[in-house]
Amino acid sequence: MHVVVCVKAVPSTTEVRMDTVTHTIVRDGRQAVINPFDTAALELALRIKDAAGEKGAPAEPVSVSVLSMGIPDTERLLRDALSRGADAAVLLSDRAFAGADTLATSYALACGLAQMPPADLVLCGKMAVDGDTAQIGPEIAGALGVPCVTDVRELAEVGAGRVRVWRGCEGGTELAEAPLPAVLTVAKEAADLRMPSIAGVRFGERARVRVLDAPAAGADPARCGLAGSPTQVVRSFVPQRTSVAVRVEGTVAEQAAQVADLIEGMTL
Amino acid sequence: MVNVHPMDEGYAGFCRDESRTQGSAASISFPVSEDEVRALMRQMSAAGTPVTVQGTRTGLAAGAVPAGGHVMNLAHMDRVLGMRVAPGPDGAAVFCVRLQPGVVLANLRKYLADKSMPTAGWDAESLQTWGELCEGTEQIFPTDPTEASATLGGIVACNASGARSYRYGPARPHIRALRVVLASGETLALERGARVARGRGAERTLALETEQGRRMDLALPSYEMPRTKNASGYYIEDGMDAVDLFVGSDGTLGVVTEIEVELVSAPAVVWAVSCFFTAESQALDFVVAARPELGCALAFEYFDGAALGILRHQKAAGAGFASLPDVDPAAAACVFVELGCADESEALAALERVAALIARVGGSEDATWVARTDVDRERLRFFRHAVPESVNMLIDERRRTDPAITKLGSDMAVPDDRLHDVMALYRETLAEAGLESATWGHIGNNHLHVNVLPRNAADHARGKELFCCWARAVTDMGGAVSAEHGVGKIKRDFLAVMYGEGHLREMARLKCQLDPQGLLGRGNLFSAELLDEERAACAAAAGEKGCALDAAAAGSPAGASPHAAGEVA
Amino acid sequence: MSGLVVDAARCVGCRRCEKACATAGIVVEGRLARVTEGCVLCGACVEACPVGALHIEKGAAADAADLAAWQGVWVFCEQDAGAVLPVVFELVAKARELAAARGCAVTAVLGTGADDVALGAGGPADAACARLLAGGADAVLLCRDERLAQRDAEPYAAWLAELARERKPEIILCGATPFGRELAPGVAVRLQTGLTADCTVLEIDPATGLLQQTRPAFGGNLMATIACPAHRPQMATVRPGVFAGLVGAGGAGDADGLAAPVVEDLLARVSEVALDPRATSHVRVLERRLLAEGASIAEAPVLVVAGRGIGSKKNLALVRRLAELLGGEVGCTRPLVEMGWLAYRHQVGQTGVSVAPKLLVALGVSGAIQHLAGIGGAQTVIAVNEDPEAPIMAAATYAVQADCVAFAQELTTRLEG
Repeated sequence: MHVVVCVKAVPSTTEVRMDTVTHTIVRDGRQAVINPFDTAALELALRIKDAAGEKGAPAEPVSVSVLSMGIPDTERLLRDALSRGADAAVLLSDRAFAGADTLATSYALACGLAQMPPADLVLCGKMAVDGDTAQIGPEIAGALGVPCVTDVRELAEVGAGRVRVWRGCEGGTELAEAPLPAVLTVAKEAADLRMPSIAGVRFGERARVRVLDAPAAGADPARCGLAGSPTQVVRSFVPQRTSVAVRVEGTVAEQAAQVADLIEGMTL
Repeated sequence: MVNVHPMDEGYAGFCRDESRTQGSAASISFPVSEDEVRALMRQMSAAGTPVTVQGTRTGLAAGAVPAGGHVMNLAHMDRVLGMRVAPGPDGAAVFCVRLQPGVVLANLRKYLADKSMPTAGWDAESLQTWGELCEGTEQIFPTDPTEASATLGGIVACNASGARSYRYGPARPHIRALRVVLASGETLALERGARVARGRGAERTLALETEQGRRMDLALPSYEMPRTKNASGYYIEDGMDAVDLFVGSDGTLGVVTEIEVELVSAPAVVWAVSCFFTAESQALDFVVAARPELGCALAFEYFDGAALGILRHQKAAGAGFASLPDVDPAAAACVFVELGCADESEALAALERVAALIARVGGSEDATWVARTDVDRERLRFFRHAVPESVNMLIDERRRTDPAITKLGSDMAVPDDRLHDVMALYRETLAEAGLESATWGHIGNNHLHVNVLPRNAADHARGKELFCCWARAVTDMGGAVSAEHGVGKIKRDFLAVMYGEGHLREMARLKCQLDPQGLLGRGNLFSAELLDEERAACAAAAGEKGCALDAAAAGSPAGASPHAAGEVA
Repeated sequence: MSGLVVDAARCVGCRRCEKACATAGIVVEGRLARVTEGCVLCGACVEACPVGALHIEKGAAADAADLAAWQGVWVFCEQDAGAVLPVVFELVAKARELAAARGCAVTAVLGTGADDVALGAGGPADAACARLLAGGADAVLLCRDERLAQRDAEPYAAWLAELARERKPEIILCGATPFGRELAPGVAVRLQTGLTADCTVLEIDPATGLLQQTRPAFGGNLMATIACPAHRPQMATVRPGVFAGLVGAGGAGDADGLAAPVVEDLLARVSEVALDPRATSHVRVLERRLLAEGASIAEAPVLVVAGRGIGSKKNLALVRRLAELLGGEVGCTRPLVEMGWLAYRHQVGQTGVSVAPKLLVALGVSGAIQHLAGIGGAQTVIAVNEDPEAPIMAAATYAVQADCVAFAQELTTRLEG
C-alpha cells in the first residue's frame, strides 16, 4: 500500500509579525517549516506504516511518500519528513509552478502523483496556516476523481480496499468510510508528528529527493503556476487596525457594572 | 521620598520565595531608582533596620526571604538603560547592555530575540549600538536558569546557572560592571578589570573606593574554592576582580542597582538530542566519553529512570503532558545534549559523533529524539520542564495527606573525574535509607539535583540527614554544596560543612567591612548569631585600632529576630 | 510576458523587497531590484515596495464573448435537518446587491432528499423554497434526489458542476461551513475555475464588472483582493455571520406569515432539476459521536475565552461559571492548551477553531495575531486585560483595562445577583 502525504512549506507562524513602521509582514529570513496541519497528516501516514510493520499484522507493507510543490529549498523540509520515517520524496520545483492558486497547485500535485507509484491514500493537512483556504485536498480529490474525507481527527482502520476515519461534524465526530483510493484532509489535533532519531536524520540526509520540473511532471504549462491560476491577486493591503474599541473606565466594580448592563442589552 | 509600606496582609507573598520558606518583615518598599535605594538605605541604616533585597522571588534557597526588618523589592527597577560595544575577554568587541536589577530575564531575551528593545531615552551611542546589534548575528545573554521570570538582579545575587552553563559558565563571567549601594548609602561603581585583589592566600586584600571618596582595604577570606561549578559563598581567588566578589554574594554585601551584562553571539545552528539508555551506567559513560570529544556541546542534561517513570505516569494520568512524545518503558536514563554549531554540516558531523558515542557505551542510536526545528526544540524544552513539574505534582498529591511533606532537592557538584563516584554514593545511600527519589540536572558539570520524594515525615527527616552526609562526601571529593541555587538561608549548614567554621567567620568578617551593622541579607550564607559575634569582634578590634566605628553598630540590629527565617516550612 | 516585473525607472534600490521576501526571490544589485529563480509570485514585495516599482503581470486574454454567456448569481443553499442555514440568507442578501450591480438575477440552488417527493406540495422543500424566495432569491433550482439527502460533497459537487455547465451562472456563492468548504473546491475543480475562500468583502468592480473578493491572509495581517477575470463562474465562500448585517428583520426568508396565494406565486419560481444518474456517493457515515459536554465552540452564541492572563489553572472555574451565566461556552488561547489546562477543542485561533459568536468575552487574552485570526467572526468582543496596549484591546468592541480575574469575579457576582 502506498500513502502519499502532500506537504507545504509555510513561514513558521511565530515569525509572522508586522513591521510597525512599514506595515508589512516581516519575514526576517527565518526558515520555512512544514505546515503544522501537514505534519499531523504525515504522522497519521507513519502510523499506518507502523501498524503494518507490527508482528502479526496481516496487512501488506506500507510505504509513505511525501510530495510538495515549492522552491528548491523545500527539499530541506522533505528531507526532514524522510528523517521521521517517510520512505520517498518528490519535489515539484519549476519557475512554471510559481504564482499558483489552489487550482493550479492541485493540478501540479495531481501531476506529481501521476509520476509516483499509484497512491492508495493521499493525505493533506486540513488547511495551510498561511493561505488558510482548505481547498487543496478536495481539489486534488476532484482532479483525481476519487472521494475525499475532510477534517479527519482519528484514523480507525485502513485496509481491504477501504479507509475508516473519525472526522469532525456538527457537534462531534462521525465515523466515515471511503473506498480506496481516497484523499483525506487531516486536522492538526489528529496527531503530533514524531521526532526523528539520529538514524532517521542520517537516512533523511542521504536519501534521494526526486525533483521534477514541469515537463518531467508531465504538466501542461498553461495549467501551471500563474498562467494556470484562474484567480489573481488584484491588490493586497494591510487592514487599518485603528482601535475602535470603546474603553470601559472606572474601578473594577464599576467596569463590571457597565459590562453587565451592556450584556443585558444584547439579544443573545 | 519612597513609600515604605507596613508589611500587611496584602504583601504576604513577599515573605516567601520558591523554596516555600516563610519569613517575616515589618515593612516593604519598591524603589525605582538608585537615588531611592540610597535614601532607603540611609534611612534603614540610621534606624538599624535589617534589609532583605529581593526581585521576583524565584530563588530556591530563601535568599530573598526576609528575616525581620525591611524588604527592599527591586522588581520595579526594570528599565534597560543603554548599550555599548566594548572589548571582550579575547579582545573581540562584545555588545554590552546596561540594565536595572529588576529586568526580568524572559523580557531581556524577548527584547533581543524580537529586536524589540525599549530604547526610549537612550543616548546616541546606545541607539547606534542597538542598530548595529540588529544588523548583526543574533545576540543572547547566555545564562539560562530554568525559571526565566527571574530578575537579572537575582541572577547576579546567586550567580545563577542553567543548562548552557556547561558551555558558557555561570552568570559571573558575563557580568561586566555593577553599581552597588552599600549599607551606608554610599555607592560603588565597579567595572571588570579596574580593581583586582592583591596578595595570595591569607594575605589577599581588595582595595575599593566609594564614589563619595572613602577608601576601603578589604581583607579577603583565605579559603580555596572547589574547582567545580560553584555558588557556595563568596567568590575568592588570587587576583580576583572586584566585580566577582559581588556576583554571588547573596545580597549580603550591598544592593546592586545597575548591571552591565555582556552578550554572546548565538550559535547559528542549535540542535538537540535526547539519548535514551537502558541503564544509568551507560548514560554516565556516555557523558564522560562525550565531554572531551564533543566540543560543540552547549549542555548535557540528565533524567534518571525514576524521573522518566514519574513523567510517564503523570502523562498517562492526563496531567497535561499530552503533547509530549511517549517515553519507551525500557528507557532507564536519558541524556539531553544540545549542540551549537556554525552550520548544518558541522551539526550533522556532531550528530554522527553522538551516534558513535552512544554505540560505544552500548546504547542505540534509534533510541534518540533529534530536535532540529523550532517545534521539536520547544517539545524537548517542554519535556525538560515537565520532569520537575510532574515530580512537583506528585509531591502535591502527597502533601494532601501529609502537609509537612516537601520535596528535598540537592544542588551539589563534583569535579569531572568523580561523576561515577558521586552517583554511586547517591544510589547506595538512597537505597540504604529506603528513600524514593528522582534525579535530574546538569550532568555535564557533574551537577545533579537529587530529589528525595518523602512519603511521610520519617522519610523527610531521613532525607535531610542524607543531604548532610552528601555535603561532607561531596566536599571530600573537592565539590561544591551549592552549585547554582546559592546558599541563601536554607543551605547554610552545608556551607559550614564545605568550608568549616573558620572560613565562615572570614566571610562574615568580610561582610562586616562593607556592612558594619550587619543589615543586608541577614541570615544568608551564615547565621545572624555568627555574624553578630564577628561584628562584635571587628568592633572591638577597630576600637583598639582607634577606628571610628559607631558604637551602636555593635549592638543587635533592630527588629531582627534570629529565628524569623531559615526553617523550611 | 508574465510574472514579477520591476519598473527600473521607479526602483530606488531600498531593499525593502529583499527583506519582505521569504524565498530569496528578489535581490537588489546596483540599486536595482532583480527577480531571481526563487520568486514564487507571492506578492509580498509588491506590497512592501514604497515606490510602486513592482507588480505582477499576467498575460491572459479572455474570450469576452464566452465570458458574457455566463450570467446570474447563484447561492448554494445548505440545510441542516431540513432547515436552510442562516448563512444562506446572508448570502442571498449579498447576492441581491451583486445582482443589482450586474443587472442579473439571484438563483438559490437547493438539494434535498427524495423523501420530499413523497411528502409532495407543502413539504419541507417547498417551505424552504418559499423562505428563500421571500428572502430575496428571484428563482430556485431544486433537486429532489435521495443521493442529496445527506451532506455528501461528492454527489453535490457533481450535481452543482453539471448544473453550472448547463446554465452558466456568473457567480456562485457558498457558505464557508465545514460542508461548504469541502463542496466548493470540488465544484471549482470540476469546472476548472477559481475559488476564493472565506471572503469578508464581495463587490462588483464598476470598471470591469468583475467580482472583487477580499479575504484575509497571514492570520488577518494582510488583506488580499482577488479576482477571477478569465474563468467562470467566479466562486467564493463566506463564513457565517460576515454578512449577517444585511439580513433585515423578517428578511431571513420569513415566509410563515405569507398568505397561501403569495406562497403559491413564489413557488412558481421554483424549477425542479434532475441529478445525473452517474453521480454516486462513495463516502458512508457509519456512526456518530456527539460531544456530551459542551457543544462545539464554533457555533456557540457566547464564548468566554481565557488567555494566559488568568494566571492560574484554578481560575478556570471562574471562567466556566461566567460562561455558564452567559449561556455560552469556554474557549482559550493556545498556551493554555499547551500547558494542558484545557483540551484542544477549546482552542480559538488560526490553529484551533475559528469562532463567530454574538458575544465574546476575552479574559487575559493578549491577542496574538494567530488568535485574532480566529475571532474575526465575533460580533461583539469585550476584552479584559491589564495591559491597555495588548493587541486584543485594539481589536475589541469594548476594552476593559482591569485585572481580568478580579473583573470576572465582579461580573459573575453581578450576573448571579
